[in-house]
Amino acid sequence: MYPRWLWPLSALPGVVWLLILFLLPFYAVVAVAFGSVDPILLTAVPAWNPLNWNAGWVTHVLHLLVPGNIYWDVFVRTCEYVVLSLAGCVLIGYPVAYYIARHASRTKSLMLILLVLPFWISYLMRMLAWINLLSPGGYGLQFLSATGISSALYHLGLISDPNNYLGGQSFTVILALIYGYIPYFILPLYASLDRIDRSHLEAARDLGASPFRAFWHVTLPLSKTGLLGGAVLITLPMFGDYYTPNIVSGAPSTSMIGNQIDLYFHGGPQPTIGAAITILLSAFLMILMGYYMWTIHRASREVRA
Amino acid sequence: MHPKERRLDGTRRDFLLRSGGAALSLSSISGILAACSNSTTAGTAGTGAGGWPLGPGGIPLARPTHPVKMKRWEAPIASGMKPETGGTFTIFNYPAYIDPAVIKEFGKKYDVTVKVTPFDDITTGVTKLASGTVSPDVTEMTPDLLSRVVAGKLVKPLNLDYIPNLKNVWSGFQSPYYDVESRYGVPYTVYSTGIAYRTDQVKEDIPNLKPNGWDMFWHAQAYKGKTALLSEVRETIAMALLHRGITDLNTEDAKLVNRAVKDLQELYNICNIKVGDLQYETVPENKAWLNQAWSGDMMAAYFYYLPTKATGKLLRFWNPGYGKGPIGNDMWCVCSTTKKPVLAHLFLNYMLDNGVGYKNFVDFNGYQPPLNEIEPDTLVSKGVIPDNLASCVLTEQDFGPKALQEMTLTTAGQSLWQDGYATFQSGA
Repeated sequence: MYPRWLWPLSALPGVVWLLILFLLPFYAVVAVAFGSVDPILLTAVPAWNPLNWNAGWVTHVLHLLVPGNIYWDVFVRTCEYVVLSLAGCVLIGYPVAYYIARHASRTKSLMLILLVLPFWISYLMRMLAWINLLSPGGYGLQFLSATGISSALYHLGLISDPNNYLGGQSFTVILALIYGYIPYFILPLYASLDRIDRSHLEAARDLGASPFRAFWHVTLPLSKTGLLGGAVLITLPMFGDYYTPNIVSGAPSTSMIGNQIDLYFHGGPQPTIGAAITILLSAFLMILMGYYMWTIHRASREVRA
Repeated sequence: MHPKERRLDGTRRDFLLRSGGAALSLSSISGILAACSNSTTAGTAGTGAGGWPLGPGGIPLARPTHPVKMKRWEAPIASGMKPETGGTFTIFNYPAYIDPAVIKEFGKKYDVTVKVTPFDDITTGVTKLASGTVSPDVTEMTPDLLSRVVAGKLVKPLNLDYIPNLKNVWSGFQSPYYDVESRYGVPYTVYSTGIAYRTDQVKEDIPNLKPNGWDMFWHAQAYKGKTALLSEVRETIAMALLHRGITDLNTEDAKLVNRAVKDLQELYNICNIKVGDLQYETVPENKAWLNQAWSGDMMAAYFYYLPTKATGKLLRFWNPGYGKGPIGNDMWCVCSTTKKPVLAHLFLNYMLDNGVGYKNFVDFNGYQPPLNEIEPDTLVSKGVIPDNLASCVLTEQDFGPKALQEMTLTTAGQSLWQDGYATFQSGA
């Protein structure tokens, strides 16, 4: 018999880790958002004591987040980019994860290695590679032109210039987001699909379900937690992303809310605004996270039942 | 952002460093913690004698018409001391903004290991200095932030006995209006802001455009997606002010600033304007055709980033000219954290040596030091700079009393400009 305290104790390093590297820093952001600014050096002076909090910056940012004010437009654009990128990840990633989990019996290991391969290279380096590929004379641009893809995208109204993907186009930013984040989406989804008991599917087929109906009524619902897990894993960082639009676009017309946070944290007299945007964005993301947690909770309750 | 961010290695490395640390904005906590510091005592006051506005620590805002002699917050080091040797000597600077060969030579001369600690840009550099996360011996600085670091006691007053080479610089920099008697810093490089463009793509005669060359951006429909501005609060809005003929680049008039921002927002539809600081690379590589730029960018482009030799002839830099466009300079200061104050002074002196300054300029940096011995005409006649980029070379006259320099604003003024830039950058 193990002593009762052994397993809680084993969780201690993780708890300490979370406290030091997440909760404390996050509280620092909150303290900055509700704090003030050094009048000389313009550095943030956090209000560590909640009794000393000044809500002025947060309410100021809240005011700017309502329709018609500057953060509204950039927030809506961010949501659009994230939703479209997520849709792209689902459309591309689900079949890949499904194939590896269900059909890649011999090549499964190889496929998994290929999936993990992007993690060997820095996200930023992968993005920077696209700069050269899509630059004038770049192989990527040549391929897109030669295959008629550029022309098709142009005629569909998805890009405004078939020869300048890096000229500040939303399409490029969304593609880059999909490209950058899709491995993080596929892996949890694959794990979820791989865990599905095949006897469920066989039972569905035995009861006369077509392959599509079996997928729709069995596989898809059973992979819901994996889908949501992957979605959470990529949407949270996407909302705070600023470097992807910076690298592949650079145009204000494609900037995201993360660019505003970066701008205010990067210098100047108002780091408090950057912190205020951050905590308001976090509050918004908590809604998404809450839905995910609720779904997981419900799923585990169903399993126990 | 600042001219020093122009170099590819530096910028990308810098970007990676910055982005790596702050990969997810929601978890970019380290920067925030670094930004947290103890509050200092005196803040920004209102106005001083004659109603002149005061900046950080009650120091009057320096303008060419209002030179500022800052009080020494402590006595400078005594004269005649021997330099410290051994150990490490740390330079706080933009990445790749000083020739490694130059600093190696300095280390060899004084028997120290010289290390460069880079910062993203000068404002984050000051934040790091203020937070105590770095403790360099000398730091790069800009005139608009000088009073701030002096008020915060982040840099030490100088003893010019150790810096006889100050006589080598243009007379206006021996006692500049922002630091009369050079009490806290010495000049490093000079530059102007204009427009970099390619003659094979841009057909307009920018230097002769009416009312001024800045108007080019508002007629750049043909260069959609190939037109960019500097990613810098002051430079971007200043450009829009100049476009309207307003030469007060330090205005805190909300109407003027907001109108400039509205003008900038027009550029979304005109040319889907981009912002960035890679113009030294993107223009020669044909990725950008029309780009707001610093003069040193095109020299760096010519020195390092030409894909073919022929490209060098296609590059142009429109320099608005004396009193018509922004000029600026960088400085060196001795940090309060230095444990080698004598050596730090000698480093400043070393960088003002004619031979060292010239070598650093043409062998590595691309940004011109304001040294008397560097004759602008000979730079062109000797072929160091090509004819088509002669406008990148600055003279002492460019820094005369009517020169336009973006200088220290009040805190309210800085917020006004930053909010304006945020509005522009939001794409709204």
